[in-house]
Amino acid sequence: MKVVVNDVELELAPGTSAIDAVFAAGDDVPYFCSQEYMSPIGACRMCLARVGSPRKDRDGNWILDEETGEPKIFWFPNLMATCTTQVSEGMVIDTESEAVKNAQNGMVEFTLINHPLDCPVCDKGGACELQDRSYEYGDGLSRFEFDKRHSEKHHELSELITLDRERCIHCKRCVRFFEEVPGDEVLDFIERSAHTFIGTMEGGLPSNFSGNIADICPVGALLDASSRFRGRNWEYDHTRSTGMDDSTGAAVIVDARTGRIERIKAALNPDVNKTWIDDGTRFGHEYAASPDRLTTPLIRRSGELKAATWPEAAAFIAERLAGLGGKDVGVAIRADATLEEGVAAQALAEKLGTGQIDHAPRPAASVIANRPATLTELATADAIFVLGDVTEEAGILDLRIKDALKGVTPPAMMAHGVPIADLRLKERMPRKRQILTVAAPYRVDLMRHAGTAITYQAAGEAAFFGALSALAEGQELSAAQVEALGTDEATAKALVTQLRDAKNAVVVLGGFALTRRDAADAARAFVKAVGAKELAVGPMANSYGLELLGVLPSHERYAYPGMLEGARALVLSHLDPAKDPDVASKLKDLELLVVHDLFLTETALLADVVLPARSVYERDGTVVNLEGRFLPVRAAPVEAGNAEDLTGVVRYLGEALGERMEGRSVRSARRVMKKRFDVDMADLPDYGALLKIKGRTAQRVAPREAQAPTGNLLVVPSMARAEYLSRNPHLNAAVGGPKLRLNPVDAAQLELLDGAEVRLRVGGIWRDAVVQVSGNVPTGLMTLPTLPEQPVGVTQADIGSLVVNQVRLEVAS
Amino acid sequence: MIELETTTPYFADKPEVLSEILSRYPKEGRRSALMPLLWEVQRSERYISEARMHEIAEIVGITATEVKGVLSFYSTYHEQPVGKYHIQICSTLSCALAGSDEMYDHLVNELGIVNGETDAEGRFSLQKAECVGSCGTAPVLLVNDTYYERVTRSRCQHLIQALRQDEMPEPWRERGGDTEGAAKARPLSQPAPAAPAEEGGEA
Amino acid sequence: MSDQNAGRAELVNSRHDPRYEVTMYRHVGAEGSHQLAYYQQHGGYEAARKVLTSMTPAAVVDEMKASGLRGRGGAGFPTGVKWSFMPPPDGGPRYLVCNADESEPGSFKDRYFLEDDPHQLIEGMIIAAFAMHVTYGFIYIRGEYYHGYERTVAAIQEARAAGLLGKNIMGTDFSFDITVHRGAGAYICGEETALMNSLEGLRANPRLKPPFPAAAGMYGRPTTINNVESLASAVHVINKGAAWFASMGTEDSKGTKLYQISGPVKRTGVYEMPMGATFREFIYDYAGGPTVEPKAFIPGGSSTPMFPWEDRFLDMPMDYGSLAKNGSMLGTGGVIVIPRDKCIVDALYNLVRFYAHESCGKCTPCREGVGHWLPRMYQKLLAGLGRPEDVDLLENVVGNIRGNAFCPLADACVMPVQASLKWFRDEYEYLAEHGRPKYQKSDWWQA
Repeated sequence: MKVVVNDVELELAPGTSAIDAVFAAGDDVPYFCSQEYMSPIGACRMCLARVGSPRKDRDGNWILDEETGEPKIFWFPNLMATCTTQVSEGMVIDTESEAVKNAQNGMVEFTLINHPLDCPVCDKGGACELQDRSYEYGDGLSRFEFDKRHSEKHHELSELITLDRERCIHCKRCVRFFEEVPGDEVLDFIERSAHTFIGTMEGGLPSNFSGNIADICPVGALLDASSRFRGRNWEYDHTRSTGMDDSTGAAVIVDARTGRIERIKAALNPDVNKTWIDDGTRFGHEYAASPDRLTTPLIRRSGELKAATWPEAAAFIAERLAGLGGKDVGVAIRADATLEEGVAAQALAEKLGTGQIDHAPRPAASVIANRPATLTELATADAIFVLGDVTEEAGILDLRIKDALKGVTPPAMMAHGVPIADLRLKERMPRKRQILTVAAPYRVDLMRHAGTAITYQAAGEAAFFGALSALAEGQELSAAQVEALGTDEATAKALVTQLRDAKNAVVVLGGFALTRRDAADAARAFVKAVGAKELAVGPMANSYGLELLGVLPSHERYAYPGMLEGARALVLSHLDPAKDPDVASKLKDLELLVVHDLFLTETALLADVVLPARSVYERDGTVVNLEGRFLPVRAAPVEAGNAEDLTGVVRYLGEALGERMEGRSVRSARRVMKKRFDVDMADLPDYGALLKIKGRTAQRVAPREAQAPTGNLLVVPSMARAEYLSRNPHLNAAVGGPKLRLNPVDAAQLELLDGAEVRLRVGGIWRDAVVQVSGNVPTGLMTLPTLPEQPVGVTQADIGSLVVNQVRLEVAS
Repeated sequence: MIELETTTPYFADKPEVLSEILSRYPKEGRRSALMPLLWEVQRSERYISEARMHEIAEIVGITATEVKGVLSFYSTYHEQPVGKYHIQICSTLSCALAGSDEMYDHLVNELGIVNGETDAEGRFSLQKAECVGSCGTAPVLLVNDTYYERVTRSRCQHLIQALRQDEMPEPWRERGGDTEGAAKARPLSQPAPAAPAEEGGEA
Repeated sequence: MSDQNAGRAELVNSRHDPRYEVTMYRHVGAEGSHQLAYYQQHGGYEAARKVLTSMTPAAVVDEMKASGLRGRGGAGFPTGVKWSFMPPPDGGPRYLVCNADESEPGSFKDRYFLEDDPHQLIEGMIIAAFAMHVTYGFIYIRGEYYHGYERTVAAIQEARAAGLLGKNIMGTDFSFDITVHRGAGAYICGEETALMNSLEGLRANPRLKPPFPAAAGMYGRPTTINNVESLASAVHVINKGAAWFASMGTEDSKGTKLYQISGPVKRTGVYEMPMGATFREFIYDYAGGPTVEPKAFIPGGSSTPMFPWEDRFLDMPMDYGSLAKNGSMLGTGGVIVIPRDKCIVDALYNLVRFYAHESCGKCTPCREGVGHWLPRMYQKLLAGLGRPEDVDLLENVVGNIRGNAFCPLADACVMPVQASLKWFRDEYEYLAEHGRPKYQKSDWWQA
């Protein structure tokens, strides 16, 4: 429809808001309470404009202006909030007249009367919407001369978010965020009128996505506690990159100052994470700035690790490798290595003439779906079935699923980007819970939002999907099959029907469904039977990419961790198998152990050569997320000593071996990929690209199957990476440490108290944990967060090995 | 955490009360029961503690934060215990024109507490309220749920004296106008005088 | 002029007119008037019976339209038209909400329905519910009206027991029941969308309109919200006919209405009068006139701009059109008389403080302007620290608030401020110049 903004004529889709019309015309109005992905509410009154529209008479004809002969414009009696005004045919919007300018200035003045003059000490300074709008729309003078409202200035809302109540301008973005995006209503306004402030009664902000409120707060009221007072916004180097803490590939901005990472913020990617990231991604960066970081290569001389140069270390390695090849040698990288590092690892393996190369953790089944769904398809699905705990495993999936429950499709991009005020979004919209079914071996948070929740027996995924497939084929179920469903037949039948009848059904297979081959096969048979699309959640950021690239062993017996048994020399990047004492004793017998890592891990302490690695924030490269979307990873300017990523390792090794190896640099690796896939990774756009890759390796080699699925402990996903948690103090405080969760009945039997700090051996690996007694876990099963060396799935914990280090006693008053 | 003592949930031993309140609203309106549940607790315990907020949150199916957000919005839910006799003094214009500011000052002096306070004994608490909807009988104060109207200085003293003896006097409720009843409806008056005058004329 | 006279000759617009009868308040004040037996003895529930057994819903709506009844909660929107906004039934729930949140300073008419004649309200709700295919009703009573709440709940129980509420009312196939919901002290809940949020158990911020309540109200379903008096009026429109109702009042304001008067007059209280009676008739003939020298009067509740005590305003008919023409509103018809010796600035400070306290806090101009700045400006003036520029500043700031807020509460505060500046600016200026009010009386409390 035709809309005129300050003499500029536009054609706009029906349903567009007036504020988007203004910006589409290239003009602007101020706003605070609107946010691109949340409901417009018209509360801040900054976006007021003079609006008029023509009217029709009773016969349906435009009432004409007598002088001009054009439809007469009837101006609305009051200025209108453009964010909550829908455009209509012939609407005229004026943002330039004196009335509007006076109103804008008036609203700036009102907004500032209780706002403290904190700019010199406020973390938001320089990136503050209030500063900017005051400059742009206020006349620079306030006539308010009275006492400002005083309130708490450093309220610890949670371990992650600090609140300065005086700075709050009551835009309600934070409150609306929690209800509208993750659906965790942990923050609200308290009291009313000018006394209103925000707060919580939950003893923190129990939500995996709480940090986003620090991004969207237009002022310095809500602040990232991990970066408080660490720098001024204009001092930071902002680097747009891709989150590497899970397989979703969320867009992030890495803020670094004087070579140190201080803060992670969400960046915009409308196709993946919109403007949100989870708290694990946001607050899990502190480890990269840990003083324990390895900064220089180490070589073991006379039993001790001593500092050396890269050429020295490379020469040492080359010497030890002489004469070794084939199955004597093994190369293993972690599943969050970039594609370029994967190319480097493949080049190294080829040079060493070995097929004993792998990436870990790697599930028994392929993480590449047959009929992959995109996140947009997930967000617009009309039936969703989730197996697992996606809220912890791949947080962005949780949020995109919640988009689907609202039934609002992604907005069409406008010239100015994502529309500022999407009028289809309302506060407290009804959710279509019935389209979501969540199944897991224990009670997961997403079940709160689901129409159907199913708790099945841990490690029973194969039987679970087998029974569902049988129902899909119209078969009669045996008693055992019904039991495996974890729910009654009628519910399961309804689920099958719903998925099959849906136009856009999506099945999300969390790690539990991929950890065993039979489970994954049964799951995928079911997905095919109901004609749904699939999203498979790989364990780490580049699981999909490294499988696609083919960083895989030539035979199952050469897979990791099996290669630890037979090899005589190992190159391990970001892997720490010596956490298992049995493995550690085997590693001691190696003729050469090269460890490439950030810290002196258990494995590094056994190594002959330790090479300092770059963190995920310090690499240039490419990863592929669970959609198959190729995303750029960009290095932030971080002072990391002599750390190198695997391409750097290969460069030095190549020099020591007298060869210019492929994958010796990011550029070299990209040339390889250009040849192999006909794609130049350097050209990837910010939002990534879903590429159809030719020459994809069809062979999928499973690691040695885990033992039969019995056990008393389920390793579960966690957004807070356990391997770095002790070095991420804010995140650690917020989640309370790696949790060993058990049912109250079991806790009583084992005499374990909530909050006790314990150590126990799980699947061979010594784990430190904090006990959490929870009714969400079934009896007979404990849960513990995953490590790269301990992938999700059932395993056995040696209860006899359990040691209680510290018990926390709190007496209720 | 070892809990040596737990607060018994308020509604644990009052299932009929709870179900009656919940039954007042349609099934899509479970959250509507929030306000009457808060009233039930408040009338019984004189305030709503954090434990009760959590309990009610669970009953209604919302977070304790939302319960607090709602109850703190209103003037007459209290998060600290009010006195046995909670006195609300209407302070808006019609009552101010009848001396409510003076009445408030008098009560502050008499009771030794100000707006928002409860006395040490827990007998009296004071709240400056806004228009309580009885402007024709100003000045008005409430003692708990009871309206005391046309509270002159002497009536106020009488009231406080009585409350100190734990007696609630019969409320004064002369109304005026048609609220005194159709039976007392006035016959038609004479035509109005030409200029504003003190003479009202018995109608 | 002659046209007006011709109209007035036919219409009943004075209580002096012998054709006029008190109808809504005819039971209030009688012993036991709140009880079902009394109500039924006096013709109670006959209108409901007539509607349920012999009329169609559409016919009831038409009758309300023909009556010309305008909403008595203050906005004055034609009630029949409002009822006609409800969409055709779709099988889902539909709601009728009675707004008994009466919190406008100067208003106290609805209270006596709740306390002394709740069955009249119930009957009105049955009629309205039938007309709009509603099966579920709410009465939202302000928390302070506890006595009225008890009486209304008891009346509903009586009605249920007598088959007047619940399934198959009076043996017809119309079913309807009512839940009474207590507020907890928030003036903003008188605003219909904030009321719905409060009823839903949310913080009582007003909602965006559109959608209008008839399209999406309680729980997202079609809803109509009516004032107590509007619903009570429906009983009499049905009993005596729209023509009877429309025979009272003026061209744009029909029927009989409850007016309230407070402040220093001989007989404060609620008076039922035909619309169009003058302020003079109300204040002098029935309320007995002021007991002290008056200066100004607020015509319809504190949100309505005041008038100086002048003939041209005292002779104004008390109807929607006349008030609007003179730059004010009829509102709820709650007259407040302001004595000469009451400093206008102090009087307005009292009201500003009221609105500041009652602001919901959602939007910036109300929360900061009304909620914080205006009270401070008045405090400064009244403390004797004001300067003449402060009066100009006050005028400018209220101008920035007016029309720019999310809901009418901010306007309800600033329009009276603007009126006080228009008519009594001399008092503001005197105070600013001299550091003390022109009128200093502060002892109002009677012994």
